[in-house]
Amino acid sequence: MAQIVGALGVPHTPFFPALVEREGPQCETARFFASVTRELEAMRPDLIVIYDTDHLNTFFFDNLPVFAMGVTDAFKGPNDEPRAVPVYTIKSRPDVAGHLRRACVEAGFDLAVTQDFTVDHSVVVPLHFMTPHMRIPVIPIFVSGHVPPLPSAQRCYALGVAVARAIETWTEPLRVVVVGSGSFSLEVFGPRIAPGKSDGVPDPDWAKRVCTLIERGATPTLIAEASEAQLLRAGNVGGELLDWIAMLGAVGERRPKFVTPQMEQGHAYAAWSWS
Amino acid sequence: MSVYAVNYLCREVLRDHAFRAAMKADPARAIASYDLTAEEREALLAGDVAKLYRLGVNAFLMGYLPRFEVCGLTLPIYNERIRSAAEHKQGA
Repeated sequence: MAQIVGALGVPHTPFFPALVEREGPQCETARFFASVTRELEAMRPDLIVIYDTDHLNTFFFDNLPVFAMGVTDAFKGPNDEPRAVPVYTIKSRPDVAGHLRRACVEAGFDLAVTQDFTVDHSVVVPLHFMTPHMRIPVIPIFVSGHVPPLPSAQRCYALGVAVARAIETWTEPLRVVVVGSGSFSLEVFGPRIAPGKSDGVPDPDWAKRVCTLIERGATPTLIAEASEAQLLRAGNVGGELLDWIAMLGAVGERRPKFVTPQMEQGHAYAAWSWS
Repeated sequence: MSVYAVNYLCREVLRDHAFRAAMKADPARAIASYDLTAEEREALLAGDVAKLYRLGVNAFLMGYLPRFEVCGLTLPIYNERIRSAAEHKQGA
């Protein structure tokens, strides 16, 4: 049977690839991404399932699902031109994705499906750092974390639990790693950006609180505190925490091997492994 | 829902390189065929992103305007203007 062997939480800041290209492998961001990459490699994954909030690049206001699964042989990205990132073709597993979607629908989660899609920096930037050869298949699950009304944290966690159970009913012996991609507190191009910048961290105390709760394995408290009002107060991409919360559906109340905050960006890097 | 049209054309600045070039060269002409209200058209051509934000235009999508420097917007100009926008809750 397939088994989940670990989980990672990562940011996806679109200017990080250019920053690392400029500043080299010893800069903070390169080192932090290297720390999660080492964990990922040690887990020897056959498949990555990533929870992601698209920035109106995969989906748009013509059709904006609250939850959706990509079911395809391969997809391309990024589709939003972040600097220093090539356009990759990323393999996927439509058989496994189809199974996960069916199991989720049967469990009461009405996941939309897309079979023909591209993804933006929020999927590709973490993969660019962690799996630059793109040899590991990736299944994206999209969570609408930017455009209110947001799904509740409880609902996202329950989705993550349903997906984790579904992975473990797939009969092939795959080693699966679940990834959550996003920030805890960040405003992008909205009124709360910092002077002179294109982003800002409106609620650094919340970002610290999230790190503390993750460090303690206090997932129920995190879910209880991650109300829509709190996520929106944390910035117009504060809802990306829902991707981490969905990822925690595979983790439960396990404590991470590490949580490394990068507070001036309002996010963190974290890893869990077990098997 | 012509806010939809403003959101759409902001994204076209990213996606359609010919449209991006047209927006740099002659924005009034480039948006002539879009079904916008007079208020939206005027705000867009003036680079009045605070007003567009209050009308409900999405901030990430407006970010493509200074990123590709259309409608007279650069990052410093955009930054100053968007920060002047009153708190305004967005949704869909």
